[in-house]
Parts: sequence; C-alpha cells; structure tokens
Amino acid sequence: MTFSLGYGTNGFANHRLDDALRVISDLGYTSVALTLDHHHLDPFAEDVAKETARVAGLLSSLGLRCVVETGARYLLDPTRKHHPTLVSEDSDGRIDFLHRAIRIAADLGADCVSFWSGIKPSDVDDETARQRMLSGVGKVLVEADRRQVRIGLEPEPGMYVQHLAQALALRDELGKPEMLGITLDVGHCVAVEPMNAAECVRHAAGLLVNVQLDDMRPGVHEHLEFGEGELDLAGTLAALAEVGYTGVAAVELPRHSHAAPDVARRAMTALTAAVKSVLPAADSESVGQVDHPWLVGAERRVRSEPAAIRALFPAVGREVGRDPLRPESDPQGLVHGTVDDLARTRLLAALADVLAPVELVDEVTELYRYGDDAERRGVLRGLTSLPAPAVKAGLELVQDALRTNDIRLVAAALGPFAGEHLDQHSWRHGVLKCLFVGVPLTAVADLDRRTDTELLRMVADYADERRAAGREVPADAVRLLEVS
Amino acid sequence: MRIFDPHIHMTSRTTDDYEAMFAAGVRALVEPAFWLGQPRTTVGSFKDYFDALIGWERFRAAQFGIRHHCTIALNPKEANDPRCKPVLDILPRYLAKDGVVAVGEVGYDSMTPEEDEAFARQLEMAVEHKLPALVHTPHRDKLAGTRRTLDVVTESGIAPEFVAVDHLNEVTVKLVKDSGCWMGFSIYPDTKMDEDRMVAILQEYGTDRMLVNSAADWGRSDPLKTYKTARKMLEAGFGESDVDKVLWQNPVDFYGQSGRLVLDELPGFSASTETFAGNSVLRGGRQ
Repeated sequence: MTFSLGYGTNGFANHRLDDALRVISDLGYTSVALTLDHHHLDPFAEDVAKETARVAGLLSSLGLRCVVETGARYLLDPTRKHHPTLVSEDSDGRIDFLHRAIRIAADLGADCVSFWSGIKPSDVDDETARQRMLSGVGKVLVEADRRQVRIGLEPEPGMYVQHLAQALALRDELGKPEMLGITLDVGHCVAVEPMNAAECVRHAAGLLVNVQLDDMRPGVHEHLEFGEGELDLAGTLAALAEVGYTGVAAVELPRHSHAAPDVARRAMTALTAAVKSVLPAADSESVGQVDHPWLVGAERRVRSEPAAIRALFPAVGREVGRDPLRPESDPQGLVHGTVDDLARTRLLAALADVLAPVELVDEVTELYRYGDDAERRGVLRGLTSLPAPAVKAGLELVQDALRTNDIRLVAAALGPFAGEHLDQHSWRHGVLKCLFVGVPLTAVADLDRRTDTELLRMVADYADERRAAGREVPADAVRLLEVS
Repeated sequence: MRIFDPHIHMTSRTTDDYEAMFAAGVRALVEPAFWLGQPRTTVGSFKDYFDALIGWERFRAAQFGIRHHCTIALNPKEANDPRCKPVLDILPRYLAKDGVVAVGEVGYDSMTPEEDEAFARQLEMAVEHKLPALVHTPHRDKLAGTRRTLDVVTESGIAPEFVAVDHLNEVTVKLVKDSGCWMGFSIYPDTKMDEDRMVAILQEYGTDRMLVNSAADWGRSDPLKTYKTARKMLEAGFGESDVDKVLWQNPVDFYGQSGRLVLDELPGFSASTETFAGNSVLRGGRQ
C-alpha cells in the first residue's frame, strides 16, 4: 500500500479522544482523521497549545499519522449547525476557526487541514457565493502558507462546492496555489459525481491531500458502511495506488458513533479484503514490499540528510524489488509502474518535504540526469508529488524522456504530471510516439480529456500510412479513432 | 548452450549482431566502458557514454533477449588527457547503479604516471563500492605491463578474487594464475587470442577462474567468438559442463560478486511463449 488507512474521530463522537485514538490504533489503522470539536481537542480552549502537544505525543507513541478535519457541527454556533461558513455573510468566525485548525495541524505534524465551502444561503446568488469563497479561501491560504500546512477543499453534496470539478475550477481561479489541494470523499463520488470514485481519484490525482472512505448510494448523501451502497471499494483503492497517492485514506462514518468500535472493526475487515482482492497474490506481496523496512529507513534518512538520496535512489530496485504493480493487466509495468517506481516516488516526496524549492529542483534534476532508466522512470512518475515551483524543471525532464525511444521512459513521461502540465503539441506527439513504439495508451493520463481533433487527424494519417504500406494498424490507434 | 560474454562493446555493434548472439545462445553480457576509437575531449562526452551504458544499450539488448550489464571507469588511454581526468570525480555516482557490475576497464596503456594514478584511484573506488575490477593489459610491452599491473593490484589491497586481468595470452597467463586473480582472454579474428590457442590454454591451465570473451568492438572482431570457442572446446573433448563453466558459470561467479547481476529470462523470450501479451516485443516502429 502506498497510502495509510485511517479512521475519522467524528465516528467516535461518544469516546474520549484518547480512547478513540487507542481503539483506532488497536484495530490496525495507521492514521486518524481528527475532527476538532468541543470535546476533541477544542481549538477555542485556553489550554489548546498544551493539549495539542499532548495529543501530538499520543499520536506519535501510537504511530498514527494524522489529518485535521473541520466539519464539527456545533463548534462555532450552538444553535445553527455548521454556521458560519465561508459563504455566509459574516464568514470571519469560520476563517478564524480554520486559521486555528492550521496552527494545530502544524503543531501536530498533520498532513493537512480539510474544509468545505458551506451551504449557500437561499438569499445569496451564485456570484456573491463565488466571491465569498475566493476571498475566504484566499485568507485561509495566508495562514496555510505561513505555517506550511496544506489545506484540502472537500466537495460536499448540497453545499456551494459540491462537485470535484467545481473545487478544481475554484483552485484554478485562485491561481493554483501550491498549498491548496483536494480532499475527496469517495462516497460523495457515488452520490453526486458524474464519474465513479476511481475516475475521480485519477482526475484529482496529484492534487489529493486527503481521502475519506465510505459507501453511498447514487443520489443519497448518507454515509454507509462498506458494502451497503454501490461503491467499488477495491477499484477505488486500486486507483489510489495507481496514482501514487501517499496520504491518509480514513473511514468517514460520522453517524455510527453509537457502535464505533464494531463499525470500525467491520470497516477494517472490508478494507483488508478489498486490498487483497484487487491485488493478485504475487502483487500484494510486491506492493507490501514498498513498505519494506529498507524504504522506511531510507525515507527517514532522506529527511534528516537529503543528499543521501544520491546513493539511495539508485539502490531502490536492489532493495525493494522491480516487479510490476499489476502484473496481470500490465506485465511490463508501463501503465501502473513497478514496485521500485513507487518506492522512488516516496523518496522524492520525502525529499520535497525537507528541501526548499530551488534546492529540490536541482536535486531532482540531477537524480534524473545521472539516473539509469529505472531512476529516470522513478523521477518522472514522482513529478506529481513535487510542489508547483518544480513544474518547469519537471517539464524539461518530461520533454527529455519523450525524445528517447525507451518505451518505459516514454510511458512514465505521459503520466498525470504531463496530463496536467505538458503543452498540447508535445502531448500529441507523445501520444503518437506511444502508438509508434508500442506503449499502451492506457499509460497516457487524461487521454480522454485531452484528445482533440488535431490528435485524431494525426492518428488517422498514421493509420492511413500503415495501411498504405500494407501494415497492421495498432489496436490502440483503431480504438482511439472509433471512440472519439 | 548458454553463453555469458564477459567483455563485449555492444555500443559499436548492430542489431544483426544481437540477433546472431541470441541465436548462438548468448543470454547475458558485460560491456566495459572503454575507448571509442575517436578520442573524447570533455567530461560531458563520458557522461553521455556512461548514460548509454546504463540506459539505452541496456534497453536495446533487452529487446533481443539479452541481459546487459556494464563496467564503468576512465580507461587508461584517455587517463593521459588532462581534459578527461575530471571523469574520475563523476564515477562514484555511476558505481552506485544497478547495471554496473565492476569498475573497468582500468589498467595500463603506455604505463605513464597519469595511468598509474588513475589505475590506483579506481582500484580504491572498487574497494569502496565493493565491486570487482576489470583490468585491461597493454597491447605493447604486455609481459612487463602485466607484471606491473599485478603489483599495483597487490598494493591496492583489493582481494585478488575481485580482479579479472584481461587480454591474456600464453606469455602472461601463468603470472595471473599464480596471483589468484581471474584470467580473461579475448578471442579475436587475427590479434590477441584465437579459438584453438584458447582451447590449448584451457587444456594446460584448467577451467578454474577462466573467462573467455569476444571483446568485439568497432574494430575487426566477431561477437560469436565465445560460441566458436565453446564449439572448439567440445571438439577437443571438453564436456558440456566444462563449456558451461567457462562460458557461463565463471563470468556469473566473477561479476556476481557485485551482488547486482540480473539473469532471469527476459519477458517474451522464454521457450514456451514466442510473444508477450499477444505482441512481439519488437513491435511498433521497428517493423
């Protein structure tokens, strides 16, 4: 597993926080989504700093990773649920709360703070709501930047921002701030998104900072235990692994607190079964190796001594293996990558945590320039875990890889990073190159979204050229021309 | 018959050679970094060459079912050019790579002080990176050069079983055998060794620590000399297991000391399946 399975404390509302954390840890979860509330690390308490330090110590002793959630119901206003929100007329209370949450997250060493927009009041028009969101998130980002804590905007059914597409558009409008990512509740995808949860995961890919796991039925915003709704849990977890998600994925069942320990145990059983079913035997073993003790030690070493990555990066394959992640559907690892690709992504993420952007760009570029094919692949697949200032350098590496004729480099170059950032001309030529050298088009991220008439023209011409020479047209080319 | 060519410069060879080698039984090889004929004048030229050895050439070989490894070093001839000396500084980065199974080719060309220094420093790097060393012996003044080579090896403190001394002949074999180092022989169409003389040496000195290579490069040479030597061995009365020892097991044992040899069959080249996931590996732009 590349990511960490956790449980939300809002599903343990009837437990003391310390008890909840211990039960969650005992059940085998390795992380926790901590909802700040009046009885769970109250951000308005006088002794909040002391209490935060104490909770940080407990998390650390239990070995739990943490994300901070801000969906408490009556924390700000004892009479009106969730009030005030970012789209309320007076949103100061919400902004102040989010600032506090960011400071607590920084002190806890949490991955991020999640938040949602709030329900648009009936007397507010769309434009006003949009302005309030832009302004409110902008203010929250100031504190996020200052504390270097990422914030994750969660699309929430019934709220002003309820679809992933809206959250992404809002982020674009704000100028794609580095500290603003996406929190995705996979149950919400079933309930209200036009695509399924796995597709949402692929769509958000590199922007995911937090994931919430639960089941739901289409059209009904009710958090259900796994198996009670229509979520493809296995497929969703596979998609998270596939996009190289390395954050927290925590069960979100806020209305099940009355039976929390049993519900959490059942959820863990379902998660374990889903992980096994989606990964064939050899495969789950090899994915398990990514959490290989060597890798854990290597990550620690990179954090304390960043230059150590120069010797660790080339050694990855020898230490954790080189098997494809999904050997049955992708025997060469061209589409989903290999165990060593995944491990290198993790090392790059660790490096990105400790180096300033300029140094990071230099180091990553050197890793690529001095890298063998496997290291270069690792860098290319890891580009999505790097912060925004690395995009320019990342694009140069992608261009370099697309100039080679090594199919493994070409495939790795056209992953989610290129899907998001590569210019359309280069991207089209990359796709055509895949057809030429035999890289399956499933390796190309965002193929559907980015395919345009010019690409189709190029592929059609290529197909004509093949036919004129009496040669077979690659099946992927035929398919692309048929579906588009 | 399975063959491991422990010394061949595939960068200079064509895809026809790869095909012929695979057909003859070559499944693995080591390509030592060496001189390219045309002298290089900048470190950048070496960097690109090393990158090809750990990247492109490896990939190319895999397309033909052959496992490719390499050795990395500043060769003795170019160690004499001050513009190339800084190559020594970038070597540690390469010596950490998966495909790099030894430091080499190091050794002597004209036996200059510059060569002394580069040779000694690179043997130190081999010790530091726990890698074997592939040592070239000079074409001119070979016997004296081989003696001096063995002295430097002894002084460096590297274990003799971590050293292969290459391009030996009837005159130099005994010295190296007595030193405890591995003995390498390059079988060439008209220089160095030929198949019949090689068989005679094997008859006289036995098969332990013996490495037979084609050393094929950009000059007149033949990438099938390993195979041809194997045939001559069989004709001369050696058994299949002797042939396997000299042409497979010995190179595996020598380079295997690096801990980095990968010898499992490449996908698509196993006897049972001619194609891979319904496609020949050589599909696409190559047909």
